[in-house]
Amino acid sequence: MNTYEVFLKKAGKEPFSHAGSLDAPDDELAVAYARETYGRRSEGEQMWVVDRTALLVGDEINLAMADRDHKHNDGRLVAELRQFDR
Amino acid sequence: MTSEINDMIPDATAKELILAFADDELCVGQNHSWWIAVGPFLEEDLAFTSIAQDELGHARALYSLLSDDIDLVAYGRPHSQYRSAHIAELLCHDWPSALVRHVLHDLAEEIRWTAMLDSTWLELRTVATRALAEEQFHVHHAVSLVKRLLSTSEGHMRLASVLNELAPLGREYFAGSDVGLLASGVLDASLAEQERTWMKRVEDLLDEFELDIDWGVAIPSQGREGTRSKDFSALHDEMVAVLRIDPLASW
Repeated sequence: MNTYEVFLKKAGKEPFSHAGSLDAPDDELAVAYARETYGRRSEGEQMWVVDRTALLVGDEINLAMADRDHKHNDGRLVAELRQFDR
Repeated sequence: MTSEINDMIPDATAKELILAFADDELCVGQNHSWWIAVGPFLEEDLAFTSIAQDELGHARALYSLLSDDIDLVAYGRPHSQYRSAHIAELLCHDWPSALVRHVLHDLAEEIRWTAMLDSTWLELRTVATRALAEEQFHVHHAVSLVKRLLSTSEGHMRLASVLNELAPLGREYFAGSDVGLLASGVLDASLAEQERTWMKRVEDLLDEFELDIDWGVAIPSQGREGTRSKDFSALHDEMVAVLRIDPLASW
C-alpha cells in the first residue's frame, strides 16, 4: 500500500486545502478512494491526490527563527499613533 | 420536443422492466451493505459501503417511478412478486464473490442506464442521467480493483474460479421482456443487444489476464419469473428488520 494526501478545493476563490490522507494499492484506486473517503458529500469540486513520497518535506531549519517580532507586526502601533495625532 | 414524447405513458412491459431493475439494485445495495465495518481495509470498506448506499438510492429512484409508496413496493411484496436476478440476491459473504458480483453488476448497470438515457419516458430519462454519472465511479472502482488483484498470482487464483462461476449468472440481468419498448422509445437498445455489449465488456476486461469465460447456454430466467434463489429469504429478512421493529420508519 502507498500513502496519499488528498486536497480539495471548493467552488469560488477558496484555495485547495488538505482533506486527509489514505492508503491505496495504486494511483488509480487512490483516486477512487479519495472520492469515496473525502469527496462523496460534495466537499469540493476539484481534487488533488498526491503520493506522499512526492512531497518535499521541509526540515527544522526551514522553519526556525520564525517567531521574530518584526514579522508579526499587526499595524496596531501605527494605528494608535494615528489616533493620537488626530 | 414533440407532444408525442410528452404524452408517453409507460405500459406494463416498461413498468415490469423498471421493477426488475429496481429489485436488482435493492438486493445488491442491501448485500453490499453487509460489508460495513468488515471490508478488507478501511478505504475499501468506506468505498464499498458508499456504493451500497448509491445502489439503494437507485432502487428508490426507480421505485418512485412506479409508486408513491416506495416502502410498500420495496419491502411489502410477497417474495414471488420480486423480480430480481438471482445473481443480485447472492449473499456473497466472502470478499472474492462480493467483489466479482460488484464488477459484473456495475458493468451491466452502466449498460442498462445508457439504454435509457434518451428514453421517451421522461422521468426515467432523468433518473438514468443522474444514475449514470454516479455509475462511472462504481465502474472505475470495481474495474481498478479487479485489475489490480488479477495482476497478482494470488489474486488471479482467488478470483478466476469465482468469475467463471458468477459471470454466466450475470446474463440474467438482461432477462425479461422488452417487447415494444424499442418501438415506443423507452429503450434504445434491446435487452439482447445490451447483453452482448456486457459480455464483450467482461471479456475485454479479462482478456488481458488470459481468462476466458465459459458462458454456457443462456438458462431461462427464474428471477424475473418470480422464483427466488435460496439466499433471498435471509436477505429479505435483513431488509425488513427495521420495519418490523418500527413500521413507521422511512428511507
